[in-house]
Formats: sequence, C-alpha cells, structure tokens
Amino acid sequence: MTPPISAPAAEAATQSRIPPSQHRWAEVIHRLEAGGSMLPDTPENLMQIIGIYKAYAVPMDFYWRDLLYIAERVFLNPLPAFKYFISQQYLDLPNSYSGDQSELRIWRGGEKAHPELLEFMAKGETRAMPKLFHHLWHDRVNMEFAEACMQAMLWHQGMGGRFNDYLASDAYRANADRAIKAYFRGNPLMLGLYKLFPEMFMEQVKQMSYYANLGLFWEVMAPVFFEMSDIYDEGGFKGVPDAMNFLVNGIFAVAGRPIYHHVYVGDECIEVIPKSEGFTWLYEAALPYVEAVFYRTSPFRGTKSYNAQADQVPSDQADFHYGILYADVFPVGSAGIPPTLLMQDMLHFLPPYLQELYRQHKRGEADQLIQLGITFQRSMYNVTSAVIQALRAALFYPLDDPDPEHLMANRRFFEAQMDRFLRPEARLGAIQSQEYR
Amino acid sequence: MATILETARNAGGFSTLLTAVEVAGLTAALEGPGPFTVLAPVDAAFAALPPGTVATLVANPPQLARILKYHVIAGAHRRQELVGQAEWPSLEGAAVAIRRSDPFEVKNATVIHADLICDNGIVHVIDRVILPG
Repeated sequence: MTPPISAPAAEAATQSRIPPSQHRWAEVIHRLEAGGSMLPDTPENLMQIIGIYKAYAVPMDFYWRDLLYIAERVFLNPLPAFKYFISQQYLDLPNSYSGDQSELRIWRGGEKAHPELLEFMAKGETRAMPKLFHHLWHDRVNMEFAEACMQAMLWHQGMGGRFNDYLASDAYRANADRAIKAYFRGNPLMLGLYKLFPEMFMEQVKQMSYYANLGLFWEVMAPVFFEMSDIYDEGGFKGVPDAMNFLVNGIFAVAGRPIYHHVYVGDECIEVIPKSEGFTWLYEAALPYVEAVFYRTSPFRGTKSYNAQADQVPSDQADFHYGILYADVFPVGSAGIPPTLLMQDMLHFLPPYLQELYRQHKRGEADQLIQLGITFQRSMYNVTSAVIQALRAALFYPLDDPDPEHLMANRRFFEAQMDRFLRPEARLGAIQSQEYR
Repeated sequence: MATILETARNAGGFSTLLTAVEVAGLTAALEGPGPFTVLAPVDAAFAALPPGTVATLVANPPQLARILKYHVIAGAHRRQELVGQAEWPSLEGAAVAIRRSDPFEVKNATVIHADLICDNGIVHVIDRVILPG
C-alpha cells in the first residue's frame, strides 16, 4: 500500500530543488522532507497512536512518580522490598506540566496522580484488597518495566550529553559520599561496608541518579500524551503529522528543563546532582533515552537465546538493536519480560475505540497484547520521527529553506537516520502497511 | 570603542539576548577583559523557536547559561580567521562548526553581520539560535 503523502506541495518544492533520494527508504525520506512522519498518515494510524499514548500515559504517571520516590527516598535501602509502595506524598507530587500550579502547562488536567491510575491501584484486575496482596499477586503496575528502561540507560551510558561524564567526576563522588554518609548515619554496619566496598556503593548511587533522570524525563511525557489524547477526542488532530508536530513543539518547550538528582534524608536534601550543573531534559535525558530504549536496549531474558561467541550479539554496544523499533512483537509477548510488562500495563487503560479495533482484527481479544504491542511500535516510530524532526529543526534547516545546499544537508541528516533501519530487524517497512497487526 | 554588551545594546535588535545574558548571570563575564568571539542571535532568532522554549530556559538560569555559552568562543576571531578552521571549541564545551565561508555560515545559522569589533572581543550577528549537537 502506498501511503498518502501529507503535504505533496512541500515535497514537490523540495524535489524540484534537489534530486530524489536513492536511499532504500527514499519514500519515507521524502515524506519526512514534506513535514511528515515515518508512520504513514492514515486515520487509523492516528487513532492507533493516540489511543496507545493515552494507555501508556496512565502507567507512566506511576512510573515517573515511583522512579523519583526510589531515587529520592528509598535510595540505598539494602532491602528495598517496598520500593513499589509509593508514598502518598509522591502520588500527590504536583506534575510540573499539568495542573493550575504549573508554569508551563502542557496537560489541561490535574497535577496529582491520574484518577484512572488510582482506581487501578485500588482494585487491580481482581478486586479491592490491601496493596500487599495486590503486590504479591502481581496485580499492579509493572514497575519492573520502568526499571528495565532505567537499566538500559545505565548500561549503555555515554550516548551523548554530559550526564554520564559527570557521574565519573570528583564533584559527583563528593556529593554521593555525602548522601551515603547521611543516609546511613547511625548505621555502623552499612558505613563499615561502605568503607570496605566504596565503589559498590558509588555504583548504586549512579544507578539512583539514572532513576531520577528517567523519572524527570517521563514526568514530561505523561502530560504530553494525556493532552494529545484530549486534543484527539475533541477532533483536534487532522492527521499523523499534526500529532508528530505536537511532540516536536513539546520537545522544544521543555528542552531546557533541568535534570538533577536530589536525595532526602528526613528533612535534609542532599543535592547529588545539583540543578546548577546545567543538565537539560533534551541532552541528558530525552536523547539518551531514545537511543538506549527505542534503538538499543539488550536481549531480553526469556525470548530467545543468543550466542555471543557466534556473533549473534554485536560486539559494539552502539549496534545493539533490541529496542521497540526493531522488536518482533509476537515472541516478545512472553510472560515477565519488560516489553510484555508494559503491554500488560497498557492493556488496563486502552480507550474503548482501540478495544473495538482489536476485536475486529486477527484473533480479537485473544491476541490483544500483540496487537497493542504493534500499535505501540507504530506510535514509537512516530515519537522517533518527532525526535528526528526536532533535531533537524535544531541542528539543520527549515523544510522550506530556499537554499538547495541546506536542503541537501537536511537530506543527508534524514538519510543517516534512516540508515539505522537498513538492518533486517527494523520494522519501518512493516509499519508502512495497515495489515501489520 | 564599546564592550560586547554595549555594542549589542547600541546596535538594537538584541533585547532577548541581552535579557538572557543577564538572567543567566553572564553579564560580568562578558563585560570582562575576555577577549571573546560572540555569535549573537537577533531577536527574530529567539522568536522563531517554538513557544515555551525560551521561557523554560529563562526559568532555569544554569541551563540557559549553557546554551548561551555555546555562542561564545574564547579569543577574538574575525571572519577571515574563523573560516580557516572547520570547527571551534565553544565555552559550553561542544564544538561550533563553520559550515560555509561564503555565505558565512556558522552551524545552521547564517552570519548576517560579521566582524563587529569591540573592546573585549568580536561580535558576529547570526540569524538563528545555535544548539550543541
């Protein structure tokens, strides 16, 4: 199926100034040059991606709150059995981008935890019971997914931005040392272990800093997705490019948000990564997140076996390709692995129109998890398109630039991005068709 | 002659940049002896950024300072000198690429007025805010 082109005039303008791309994904590149997304602009694609953004935003509202709760309060608890038992204070923590108090309001809704999230936390799939039982029965938000994303960022590290370099600096080590000593004040056993194994403690603090990083990243994305859902419900998006452009504008608007890590010991706040370091949402959180989670991640346990000696796993981490943009969603749908945990979380909050869509296709409700996983894949190709367009706008030239050399610079940038989808595992080709479900 | 900031103030059209420099706490540094090469975006360059971009930065001075420092190169370099090298280290740390010499383009911005000589450096006026990366 040849997807309709969102802005034929803009594409024609580009095409008349520079020759057509010869890239294997030339069709997609020309669409990007016309202001479109990697995802074809069809009413069903728009419906699918907005529906899944909504279903993603509700558990994400838990993820970011609990990530910050763990980074700031649970911190180095050696037996963190209750780290998913988020405190009321963090459920009520005002989101910086929704509610009346927000200086830059992205979502028109409230600042506290989303009502649908609170309802699910109370009842789960079973019925209302004490949260310990929900936890043990695993009838809850799968926070393990959020932690898997954090670990992908921690493990891949060094993907641009200054965050990771800072974690190796003397300033960071001094701050972490203060935090460790304050947290274990009056605990000779843990302080003794710290003396014996200082690097182990440092490594744990670094991991906590990545918890904070991801929490602050998702604090932005949850209201962005809620607002997109509300705009769609009002009939406000005309097509996939509109949805992408909303994301592009959002990326710019919050690009300068500070990324920091504060630890609270009682009333005392220890700034492990102070805001004054100048770390930003775009460079230290969003871009590394996209690289680590959308593209790279790592082979999940329980899907299939890889033989690293037989080069089935790339020797260079930059070549890892286990993220959602490459995922074969069907085998990934096994129990307990991170992507399935997310699918299960999103299943609880699907809008009615997506439930109806899945009933009409494939095996109906029996394979909803797979269908929504593929919807999620489509939606993340759209988010990645927004990131690519935002980088193009920030580092290169407007799409309607009159200078052919500038258009060629845009072209080279788009082609370099598309090179990442030349490997056979990429799903860019699959999402061009509506029949991929 | 005037300092870099005085030059910008007298020239007009740099009110966003001057406000940003003050909010970011860089006034004293840019009034100092330097010398610096400043790539100064005009007001229209800031206005062209999507809504909220500048407001978020102004609300967070350290982050704003980082973006502004990307527009400053140590030493006083005229156009002739800048185009002789593919890229220059900015005070932010990331390199600023010189993409073309004629027309004179720095990163994805075009220099609309080069070589404004000041007491403590040189200003090149650019038409876009440039960002590291």
